Amino acid sequence: MADTAIKREDIQARVTRIGKADILVGIPSYNNARSIGHVVRAVQAGLAKYFPDRKTVLVNSDGGSTDGTMDVVHDTTIDDFRSILLSHRVESFSKMTIPYHGIPGKGSAFRTIFEIAQALDVKACAVVDSDLRSITPEWIELLVKPVMEDGYDYVSPLYHRHKYDGTITNSIVYPLTRALYGRNVRQPIGGDFGFSGKLAGFYLSKDVWETDVARYGIDIWMTTTAIANDFRVCQAFLGAKIHDAKDPGADLSAMLYQVVGATFGLMEEYPRTWKSVTRTQPVPVFGFTYEVGLEPVSVNIQRMIDKFTLGARELVPVWENVLSEETLGFLKELADAPQDNFHMPDAVWVDIIYSFALAAHRNLLNKEHLLKSLTPLYIGRTASFVIEAWESSGPEVEEKIENLCGVYEKLKPSFSDRWK
Amino acid sequence: MNFLQRVIIEPFESSYEKFLTFMPNFLTSLALLIVGIVLAAVLRMVFLRIFRAINLDKAAQRLGLFDMLLKGGIRDSLSAFIARIIGWLVIFTFAVVAVQTLKIPTVEHLLERFFLYLPNVFTAAVILLFGYLFSNFFGRAALIASVNAGIQRAGLVGRLVKITVFILSATMAMEQLGIGRDTVLIAFAIIFGGIVLALAIAFGFGGRDIARTYLQRTVGKEKENEENRDDINPL
Repeated sequence: MADTAIKREDIQARVTRIGKADILVGIPSYNNARSIGHVVRAVQAGLAKYFPDRKTVLVNSDGGSTDGTMDVVHDTTIDDFRSILLSHRVESFSKMTIPYHGIPGKGSAFRTIFEIAQALDVKACAVVDSDLRSITPEWIELLVKPVMEDGYDYVSPLYHRHKYDGTITNSIVYPLTRALYGRNVRQPIGGDFGFSGKLAGFYLSKDVWETDVARYGIDIWMTTTAIANDFRVCQAFLGAKIHDAKDPGADLSAMLYQVVGATFGLMEEYPRTWKSVTRTQPVPVFGFTYEVGLEPVSVNIQRMIDKFTLGARELVPVWENVLSEETLGFLKELADAPQDNFHMPDAVWVDIIYSFALAAHRNLLNKEHLLKSLTPLYIGRTASFVIEAWESSGPEVEEKIENLCGVYEKLKPSFSDRWK
Repeated sequence: MNFLQRVIIEPFESSYEKFLTFMPNFLTSLALLIVGIVLAAVLRMVFLRIFRAINLDKAAQRLGLFDMLLKGGIRDSLSAFIARIIGWLVIFTFAVVAVQTLKIPTVEHLLERFFLYLPNVFTAAVILLFGYLFSNFFGRAALIASVNAGIQRAGLVGRLVKITVFILSATMAMEQLGIGRDTVLIAFAIIFGGIVLALAIAFGFGGRDIARTYLQRTVGKEKENEENRDDINPL
């Protein structure tokens, strides 16, 4: 096992100085100097405003930023609490900035946060992204209070997002997780979560920190682990999620590989659990739901269709190992279709995802090759969805996603039978 | 009488003595061969069961070995193929020992040379096998990466990577066998260097207009892409 940050003497000394704490909020970061100051202020204000009588800790777990992110965290503080309408005395608040060890990625950053949480024996934790622009002090209340006061172990976020945002979530992770584990956690890879100290300890006990869970896979791993192990799960409505523009250099296929790979990997871990689930149970929602204005999202449909067509032309020898002849035939026809008629039905898409899950389970191909070859199909599905939802409002899009969930649930029994 | 004795009886007696000396060796040799054939059949069956128990065929399909066998005209599963090879190896080993038991000097000399060369053949076969597997793996990786990067000639890139890796392994295998050692290496270097040089010259001189147009179009496309980029956050 790789050496972890908690074993460092200076970290242990800080932990010993703090002793015990009630609430810990973790912020993983990597070169987020521009936005992390706002996140730190929101967290500090939230803790002061909603948990004034609790001992609280903010932990910034950094992946080796070179833009002074850790300095910003260190220097940022709320000087005048009256500006946030706070006049009462606040129990101690500590701040720790720690460069994490291990595989570079969000999962490794979270591991360090879990370790500090365990060492401080905290009752509740929350983690929030460091590039958030829409975070408010209320987020901390919404993520932590269900754990502190209502006995929940895991609080998943619920946001209003643009109808084209979160396409991996909407087309794969949410409907698949819901069909498999029977809980409608709408944003299973939302990125901002609340959880109990007990669950943090449970996460740490799992030996996954050298796998893709240590990268983008951490979010779905946390959600699924909580659901599959019968921890009490709820959702908190946080409003809009607005964050810094995504890194244009971020590799979509790597992201897809890590997230979908982690989702498929979890299916291997909990086959008995998901095979026994036959219906979906609602997950309670906390927070006052309201409509929010969202930033426009620009899309280039033709470029997406071109990428799908290129895949359909070149990757058939790879897909032949995975997909049925009928699906392959449909994809070849779709590649020749004009943009106006470009449509990938829900049933075809769900068949593709279940077929890839089975191929991964049966080790038909190298896993990285298999999942990265899904990228053009995912782009094609996204293009089809964007065209379909062009005139739709937010609630209408939600209805379409609901229908997709229904197809995942309908096709699950035959998929389950083929999973030996 | 003397003549008859010298010309017919003595050579006949000598041949008969040699035959009597040779006969036990021959019978031993024959017995060894029969034992080898029986043992080969038993081992073939045992290994076939072991390979099937450990799902070797499934792994072979995943690694592309099944396709390789099909392309080579072998319709057996990998388990059956390896079990059959093991059987033939056992028969071959017993045959060699049987031939040595005959104690014929010329055959012994030939066998000695053959055995000294055998490790080279084995190493070359292993290099070729791994070369084939690596060429498939890297070819497929290059193909998928190129498609995801939006390269229109993705298929060509994948095939080029696959062929290059396989040629490299074939060169190494031939070098191991000692076939045209220097010739093969030099030929590979010339062909490979030649391709690179030809591409450089073609792009630098012959195709400078095409290169200019291509670069302008690519850079232009990047700018255009930047303007028309997607803001969709997939997670």
